[in-house]
Amino acid sequence: MSEACKSTPTVDCLQENGKNKTNIYCQRCPSLVLSSEQALLTEKEFYLPFMHKKKDKEPFDGETLKDYWVVQDMYTFDNVGFSNTVGTTKYLICADCEIGPIGWHDTNDKKAFYVAVDRVKHG
Amino acid sequence: MAKTYDYLFKLLLIGDSGVGKTCLLFRFSEDAFNSTFISTIGIDFKIRTIELDGKKIKLQIWDTAGQERFRTITTAYYRGAMGIMLVYDITSEKSFENIRNWIRNIEEHASKDVEKMILANKCDMNDRRQVSKERGENLAVEHGIKFMETSAKASINVDEAFFTLARDIKGKMDRKSDATTNAKSGGYQLKKDNAPKKSFWKCSIL
Repeated sequence: MSEACKSTPTVDCLQENGKNKTNIYCQRCPSLVLSSEQALLTEKEFYLPFMHKKKDKEPFDGETLKDYWVVQDMYTFDNVGFSNTVGTTKYLICADCEIGPIGWHDTNDKKAFYVAVDRVKHG
Repeated sequence: MAKTYDYLFKLLLIGDSGVGKTCLLFRFSEDAFNSTFISTIGIDFKIRTIELDGKKIKLQIWDTAGQERFRTITTAYYRGAMGIMLVYDITSEKSFENIRNWIRNIEEHASKDVEKMILANKCDMNDRRQVSKERGENLAVEHGIKFMETSAKASINVDEAFFTLARDIKGKMDRKSDATTNAKSGGYQLKKDNAPKKSFWKCSIL
């Protein structure tokens, strides 16, 4: 890890040549979501409902995230779950503990599956 | 990008509602996270990666998700399925009796060579047991299917069940591809031999 990444780690520190440097795990359990160097870092704004129900908020409140790991083929995932389709969106969850959404997929774009950098554990 | 796996198997979980299919497939880990948002929309399928004999196998696992009554599960659902887990609940006689109907449904709608396995789930609830292990085993033997008692809750035999089914599918596929490889090389030979014959037939027709 470079000195800059040690002092102020940013999203950029997680990638090498645009790919994920380390394995990607669920934040809550030890489930392996993606192996290293399988996904590309991408910037794309997408609104995801919160994983935790915030006490003072509506249950389906969320946030717009912009940093995502993207893979072209869903079988690139080691372990992942897909929700039923809402509109054209399928939400991704942890295959083991089912926390989510950790990412999303648009059924109109068969070659893009997004995992939110902020909602997974790296390394 | 290069393929990161050697095999891809589509598996289905079938059985009455309430037998714990969702827990089986969907939870190898016990303490599921209760996200209101996700539980509201429901889960469609999961992808899992296992390793067998040094080969990476991707499992795509589907639950019947609300179409539990066997009459409503038809060909479309079974399409492409290579393995089916037939699940009943040892505390429910009814769910056990229905396994026969499920088997009939599979015979009617699924591919003939789909690998099957019977799982007797909730074996951690022995005090409420209605179906003995022996009856389950007998049913499996009768249909020539493997049998296992499982508990998703106590994590008994869940991984083993999926590994066993995956191993059986892989074995069948490997035998098939061996046969095709042999047939192919043999076919090449035959083609060579056949070529003059064809023209011979043509000539004779002319």
